[in-house]
Amino acid sequence: MTTPDFAPPPSGTTLANGRGDVGAAESVLREPSGPTIPLNKLAPEAALRRLELTVVRRLEGFLQGDHLGLLPGPGSDLNDARIYVPGEDDVRRMDWAVTARTMTPHVRDTMADRELEVWALLDASPSMNWGTAGITKRDLGIAAIATLGFISQKMGDRFGGLVMHSDSVRRFPARSGRQALYGLLGRMLEDPIEKDNLPAALGLAEGIEALIRTQRRRGMRLVVSDFLSPGDKVLDANTPPDWERPLRRLAVRNQVLCVEVVDAGEVEFPDVGELLIRDPETDFARYVNTSDPRARKMIDGASQAQRTRIAAAMRRAGVGHIRLQTDRDWVADIARFVLTYRRTAAVLHTPPQGVSK
Amino acid sequence: MNEQTGTFLGVEFFNPERLWALLILPILVILYLLLLQLKRNRGMRYTQTGIVGAVLPRQSQWRRHVSVAMALCSLVAITGAWARPVGIEKVPRERATVVIVLDRSLSMQATDVEPTRMDASKQAAKDFIAELPPSFNVALVGLSASSSVLAPPTTDRGMLNRVIEQMGVQDGTAIGDAIMAAISAVGMAPGEQGADPAPAMIVLLSDGQNTSGQTDPVAAAQQAKAAEIPIHTIAFGTMNGYVDVDGARANVAPDVALLGEIADITGGRAMDAKSANQLNDVYQEMRSEVGYEEVKKEVTAQWALYAFAFAFVASLGAVSMAARWP
Repeated sequence: MTTPDFAPPPSGTTLANGRGDVGAAESVLREPSGPTIPLNKLAPEAALRRLELTVVRRLEGFLQGDHLGLLPGPGSDLNDARIYVPGEDDVRRMDWAVTARTMTPHVRDTMADRELEVWALLDASPSMNWGTAGITKRDLGIAAIATLGFISQKMGDRFGGLVMHSDSVRRFPARSGRQALYGLLGRMLEDPIEKDNLPAALGLAEGIEALIRTQRRRGMRLVVSDFLSPGDKVLDANTPPDWERPLRRLAVRNQVLCVEVVDAGEVEFPDVGELLIRDPETDFARYVNTSDPRARKMIDGASQAQRTRIAAAMRRAGVGHIRLQTDRDWVADIARFVLTYRRTAAVLHTPPQGVSK
Repeated sequence: MNEQTGTFLGVEFFNPERLWALLILPILVILYLLLLQLKRNRGMRYTQTGIVGAVLPRQSQWRRHVSVAMALCSLVAITGAWARPVGIEKVPRERATVVIVLDRSLSMQATDVEPTRMDASKQAAKDFIAELPPSFNVALVGLSASSSVLAPPTTDRGMLNRVIEQMGVQDGTAIGDAIMAAISAVGMAPGEQGADPAPAMIVLLSDGQNTSGQTDPVAAAQQAKAAEIPIHTIAFGTMNGYVDVDGARANVAPDVALLGEIADITGGRAMDAKSANQLNDVYQEMRSEVGYEEVKKEVTAQWALYAFAFAFVASLGAVSMAARWP
């Protein structure tokens, strides 16, 4: 029997700290040619067995599972009491306390325990094919899906994926079991990497709409993106971004977790002299003197404000928010989030008024 | 310097064949544009360009392009300097024969110029002669129906002054004949036989229309041109000058068009004067025309200075862009 691999995934290989392995640094110059991380490094499966993702919203499903369902059925959670129908109900389910109070035989109903269906939406737009550290943002997103997928693997739980390109959304059907999850992750990694500056027909808002439209059964939804709209320059936290409204709609019936993928180069603007900066999605191209400390400070401040705005929009939409950075260990970050999430999930995912939990 | 010169784009060069080196310019320009195109694909990809564009002021690219343009200009100037550009310099003449043709027709009696045209022109001519270098031979021709050489080319200024004083009014204006007389006067200039004759020129002052004479003024001008004698003309008097001849009043406006044509044909200058003061100014100008000759000279140093100035601006631009100031 092989010993499980508890070592954290490689991280911190940036150009700046002088390591030999430049990782995804090539993506600064051109779109990467393939995945920057192999399938077996995505998540330490064995180490994640002890974690559990708290599910607070009720689920719909076909099968018997480990999570609380929405409708009555055979399960462990008690529901309303109702009058005993002879021949139909099991006398072992008799609620004696209610029967004694009302002098009429009652049985106690239970809520069905259902399986969890997780759907992950991966943003694969060109701005995700970028990373100054060990891996690109897209591959970090896949690693986050892998980690969350292994955490949420319980008996019969299904896991499906949607990959959003700028022209279409690819759908990978939900299947149960770890082999199916590995298959999904492998196909996500092998999904062709998009070329720069293609005319974008789909944004993140349209991707979330596609997720709402195609997957109607209640469950858990992961949205993995950098949540940057191309060319968006609004910094005011009170102005909703274009993806906030679809995200709200998604959160009405589902438990939504947003994984915001950030690169170190976005948090701290790199100091690389004067050079041409171009956008992989828009036609922006401008010479910027990145050695100017004032300019870097202003850009850092603005990107800080932008991340504040993204966090505010997610808080308003009532979704969980995980921020991962390409030069950090995502497994540790996700584990820390999951531990805190046990306490906060119930408050965080309170459904809007009029919608059952 | 009587070297062979060639003209390129209106500028004369002693070695115009060296300008073929300018062909390198379009190649450099094409290379620059190509590099610009390539660089567009070589910039750093960055995702948050929305806020970069919003936060940072747009850095204009003019310094970059100005530097390149200045470097190219410098290259043009230094190539031009290499081809030895020709400049014109004015050098005082050492010797010359000046034939002054003075109008003495009846129209010179008109009083539109104080005191009369005749007196004013005589005084101005005397001043002009006095200011000419003493080594110049000066001849005098009187312009009338019977134009004649009043004084052959001489350096004796006193004699000339006396001749001018004594010049009286005669009938008619024969500009063609006067030019022929002036050309013959040039031949009378003293000098060794066979030696290079001094350059000659004719200063023709007239105030009226060509009325008589056997030679057409234009044909006479052609002859002067054949003899390489430029004729500088002065149209003297106002357009409404008049004289009373035999009880009839006649308008005696100068024939500016004809005089201008004569000057044009022979490569001289055409000027006009409407008063005694203006006439003095015109003679002043004529003095520089007559007293100096234009000599072709190499002005390589000037072009090299231009090239240096362009290169200096280009290097300043390059330094301001590329250097990381500590």
